[in-house]
Amino acid sequence: MLKLYDYELSVNCYKQRLLLGILDVPYEVIPVDFFPGWEHKSEAFAAINPLGHIPVIDDDGYVLRDAHAILVYLASRYDPSGRWYPTSDPQLLGEVAQWLLFAEGTTNTASAARLHDNLGYDFDIEAVRTGAHRLFRVLDEHLWFAERQQRPWVCAASHPTIADLALFPDVVLSEEGGISRIDYPALRRWTDRVKRIPGFSPMPGIFPATPASTG
Amino acid sequence: MPTPPDTAWYPVARSDDAPARHIFHGQLLSQELAVWRADDGFVNVWQNRCLHRGVRLTVGDNDGGELVCRYHGWRYANRSGGCTYIPAHPADAPAQTICNTVFPSVERFGLIWTTLGSDGEPPLVDTLEGASEFGLRPLPVNAPADVVLDHLGSYRFAPAGALTGDPAVRVAGIGDASIELVSTADGHESAAVFFVQPVDAARCVIRGVLAATPGEALAIPVLRHHNHRLSVLRDRIESSVVGHPPGASPAPAARADERSVVPADRAGLHHVRVGRRWDEADGIVGFALEPIEGQLPAFQPGAHIDVHLPNGLVRQYSLTNGPGQTRHYLLAVKREPQSSGGSSYLHESLAEGDELHVSAPRNNFPLRRDVTRTLLIAGGIGITPLVSMAHALSHAGLEHELHYFARGPEHLAFATEIDRLSTRLITHLGLSPEATGVALRTMVADPGPDTQIYVCGPGPLIQATRDAAAAAGWPDQAVHFEYFANPTVLDQSSSFEVSLARSALTVSVPAGRTILEVLRDHGIAVPASCQQGACGTCSTRVLEGEPAHQDVYLNDSEHRAGDAMMICVSRSHSDRLVLDI
Repeated sequence: MLKLYDYELSVNCYKQRLLLGILDVPYEVIPVDFFPGWEHKSEAFAAINPLGHIPVIDDDGYVLRDAHAILVYLASRYDPSGRWYPTSDPQLLGEVAQWLLFAEGTTNTASAARLHDNLGYDFDIEAVRTGAHRLFRVLDEHLWFAERQQRPWVCAASHPTIADLALFPDVVLSEEGGISRIDYPALRRWTDRVKRIPGFSPMPGIFPATPASTG
Repeated sequence: MPTPPDTAWYPVARSDDAPARHIFHGQLLSQELAVWRADDGFVNVWQNRCLHRGVRLTVGDNDGGELVCRYHGWRYANRSGGCTYIPAHPADAPAQTICNTVFPSVERFGLIWTTLGSDGEPPLVDTLEGASEFGLRPLPVNAPADVVLDHLGSYRFAPAGALTGDPAVRVAGIGDASIELVSTADGHESAAVFFVQPVDAARCVIRGVLAATPGEALAIPVLRHHNHRLSVLRDRIESSVVGHPPGASPAPAARADERSVVPADRAGLHHVRVGRRWDEADGIVGFALEPIEGQLPAFQPGAHIDVHLPNGLVRQYSLTNGPGQTRHYLLAVKREPQSSGGSSYLHESLAEGDELHVSAPRNNFPLRRDVTRTLLIAGGIGITPLVSMAHALSHAGLEHELHYFARGPEHLAFATEIDRLSTRLITHLGLSPEATGVALRTMVADPGPDTQIYVCGPGPLIQATRDAAAAAGWPDQAVHFEYFANPTVLDQSSSFEVSLARSALTVSVPAGRTILEVLRDHGIAVPASCQQGACGTCSTRVLEGEPAHQDVYLNDSEHRAGDAMMICVSRSHSDRLVLDI
């Protein structure tokens, strides 16, 4: 069975759990004592990932690290609809890659601010918060226009892609890093939409949304 | 020196910033706002703070009729902001005083406007009146509103028909918090109004509105044109204020109690108008009572109001509203054959447009929502509080069934309304008392764990339900009932003394008079409503003595405990009672 080296409070691990839940793929969680045990920096874990970070997956002997790379693999391997990682549409695929790189930025700013505030990481907190606001301005503007063009997801499609899942945790937990989303109304509406994706799973600090309507 | 509170109206969101089931996070003059649209379209603008623990309401849920705090699940009603349910106290109705700070809201020019004051309305803007206005993407700016307003005078944009042209832009008007610009190029002209919403002393939002909607193909290019140019302007403004400390923060908003949105007169009554009356079923008329100004106080399922009739009578009627249905109070009134002027007045004389006074809702029949199954049992017009409960249970997705006893199909009220709910409706028509007993014994045969019964209707039906439930082993606390009238033949022959522990007063209650009457003679104000031992409003704690109960509000175990009594009808077995008054 697919194994996920996981820490419950890690946004990058949550991205994997989110996609696996949506795709309804069974997997085994191997808990890593990230905090306060620093198990990901242990000698034993170096054999699994010499870079010393999580998540890592082990799919029947195929070992892969780095959150956004794992999303690419899992969607390609386990999504028969081909929508989450749309390899058959070159332009859409290009956009997915573009926003996955953008998500490296939100992870290194918004989620870094959260690590600083929650776990005492030594980051230049003003710099990472300013950086997060700069990216959120760009993303809010992008999503505001996407809403007006009736394709309210990060990439120009009628459905979400792994780019939405890569960005969502960094955005929705930003307030834990002291980054308010009050100036980003389109970003806030998009988080509601992600929460309403069938199969959505929450994590500590991320709550499910009410249904869009009673129907 | 503190500046006086700014009570002007400002836009705080676009209308489409508040789609269904979303909570918009806004801020005006340092006051954080939770802005949410209920399923009936009403836009609520509230202080962004749960009354319980101060958690932001914007992290909660908009369930379409109520806003639910994320932290401990306190629920607040559409329009009034009154608390409707506290999960930690599932058996109690929250006090009327637990009410959120609510600001007025008006939608105009595609924007949601509010004020931290209490009256007035958004400014009139001639350019936009009657125009097919077109809202631009709002732009938050990290600079004070007055600085931004100054810079907007130099904003350059092209008219919708000539986006690539070389425009000439002139200032057509400047308001306190807005500026109007007109751009002309290549024979095209565009008028735009930019409102500046002060977020706090150091931040604001530019909310631009064009006076004309461009053609469909031009909509996105026009939006992008302004978004780009305004972003460039924003960069310029923000770099100009770096290192300039902002001025004094705005003064805090007026206190909530100085600007209530639920106006009441000195007697605590609310002035309402009959907005609609209709025939609900044979012999049953429905009324929708609308507030004449402001909003009506919040209610919960099971609540009733006192209706003060123009003929001087006061009658209690249950509200049939569901959660979020807060535009008006809904009543259904059955014409009683022996009416002493209440139901006959409502049936014969009360017309659409008539004005009345009503009390705030009281709830002596609150609905628990922490159970897995609920059994609602209605007899005749006893359906009214139960239909409100069916709405709430259905809205919350909780399992429930409604047994509805009536003489015949023509007497069934709310049939189509209940049909739209998830309620499992079972009707029992034209049954004899014996057949009714059999039906009741069948439906309560199995006292399921975590199940509650609510029964309302004629006295004999309630008594039969309570007897059947007790015989089947239901605990008293799981069987809730509300009598409309007390069928007990009251015995007023005893005389005794009553000591009021907190008032340091002892009075004699002679035969033929009630405790309530004697207390009122002595100037002791005690809340009371039905004055026949049915509604529970005058429930009073007994500290010493043995009460002689004659009410139908308390259940048998509560009667036996003897630590509470209804002083409108109940008397004393002992020579002396000590009450907690």
